Amino acid sequence: MKKPLLILDNIRTGYNSDPVLRDVSLEVYPLDFIGVIGPNGGGKTTLIKAILGLLPLFSGHIHFPSGRPKTGYLPQASQIDRSFPITVKEVISSGLETSDKFLPFLSSAKKEKVRKMMDETGLGSLSSRPIGELSGGQLQKTFLCRALIDEPDLLILDEPNTHVDKHFEQELHEWLKELNKNMTILLVSHDIGTISPMVKTIACVNRTLHYHPSNQLSEEVLKVYNCPVDLIAHGPVPHRVLKSHDHE
Amino acid sequence: MTMSELLTILDYQFFRHALAAALLTSVLAAMVGTYIVSRKIVFIGGGITHASFGGIGLAYYMGLNPIMGAAVFGIMTALGGGGNIREDSAIAILWSLGMALGIIFVFMTPGYAPNLMSFLFGSILSVGKTDLYTLAGFSLLTLFIFTVFFRPILYTAFDPEFAKIKGIPVGTYRYMMSVIMALAIVLSIRTVGIILVLSIFTIPQITAMLFTRNFALIIPLAALWGITGSVAGLFAAYYMNIPSGASIIFFLTIQLMVVKLIVTLQRQVQRRSG
Repeated sequence: MKKPLLILDNIRTGYNSDPVLRDVSLEVYPLDFIGVIGPNGGGKTTLIKAILGLLPLFSGHIHFPSGRPKTGYLPQASQIDRSFPITVKEVISSGLETSDKFLPFLSSAKKEKVRKMMDETGLGSLSSRPIGELSGGQLQKTFLCRALIDEPDLLILDEPNTHVDKHFEQELHEWLKELNKNMTILLVSHDIGTISPMVKTIACVNRTLHYHPSNQLSEEVLKVYNCPVDLIAHGPVPHRVLKSHDHE
Repeated sequence: MTMSELLTILDYQFFRHALAAALLTSVLAAMVGTYIVSRKIVFIGGGITHASFGGIGLAYYMGLNPIMGAAVFGIMTALGGGGNIREDSAIAILWSLGMALGIIFVFMTPGYAPNLMSFLFGSILSVGKTDLYTLAGFSLLTLFIFTVFFRPILYTAFDPEFAKIKGIPVGTYRYMMSVIMALAIVLSIRTVGIILVLSIFTIPQITAMLFTRNFALIIPLAALWGITGSVAGLFAAYYMNIPSGASIIFFLTIQLMVVKLIVTLQRQVQRRSG
């Protein structure tokens, strides 16, 4: 049995003194690809902020059996101030390791690393573009590059599908599949339909957490809905599941 | 009036001091103002400015250096706020409390307060050598900090949560920048006054951002626009015999409007031909 990468042991966390999540336990193993789903306001973002160490734990523990993994993080698009005067190149560079943060200029090796990543992902020509002038897909790609530039062991993505077109969604899908070969991924989405084909397992977060060790939530229910994609979520409020369109 | 006639006032030491103060304030405000405008925290700048009047009043009442009093109140405002009160509400309280305290202390001080107007509207034409050295020293320190810590300052301003994950001590940088912001504003009060000081921290930046959205390039460009506007304002103030602080702000604003008009027209021409 592999050693877990991180263990959430009965954590309770939230903002100020108001707990959003209670009794959350989860073990994440190396090369897992967990889809974190649940309704808006259910605590998905709270969960990953706790894992990232950005929120205090009111009770419980987070263990990292082999030490805190190097973590790449893509925040929700709404958390980004798109009018901030910063360029694509600078955003990606901010993801580099920061032991040399006091040097005013980046080393040439690091500059080269950033340039290479921009070229490989098609951002090369946008290098000096301020982020306010990017399309939704280009912006998400830039922030994904920032998360990946330091070659993390754990990649945490919060709603990477926001404001992007179908083409980018497909590209992201392929990209993440490739990355998952040597990286553990936590992917947050309120829309399981788009993420369930990518992920290996699903964690449903709504004030607490239920873990499903597969990416199919429930075959029977899917049959009842006669749904061509596994579009389902559970919660206290009845959900409406829409059939996906046949045409692209 | 010929150019040489225009420049004869350079023979006066007070005018040379005023020019130096305008240059230094423009450069200092270019750096700090770019941080303020980028982070959209102009209201915190407003809070610092007005709260510092309480410090001026207290120092005046106790017979101490008013700028020291202003610095203490300004830093307290920049670092304060928060707690259980929403930040913008806390700033609003400190903003008006500072002004109230200032007025009370000035009222309680025996005799007439001749300096009061100069703190409200600035008195660049009476800037002395000590003021200039303080301003120059602090501008150099700020330039040093912005050069050496440029990346962590930019990263913590843009996305503090991500910076924290990358191991940057975000809290320390935020505190450092709050203190720099407070001191820069307080030292600039001498040049343009409490009521007008915020504009020199914002108008040149807004003018610069018509040309670039790159943080590192906005700073020198804002310094340039700050210098042209404040020097023009200063000459106009002398020859038209109007208050210098108001004249500087007026020229900075006119400059912004003219530049914006030119840039807009140029883009329209480009669009039609392209």
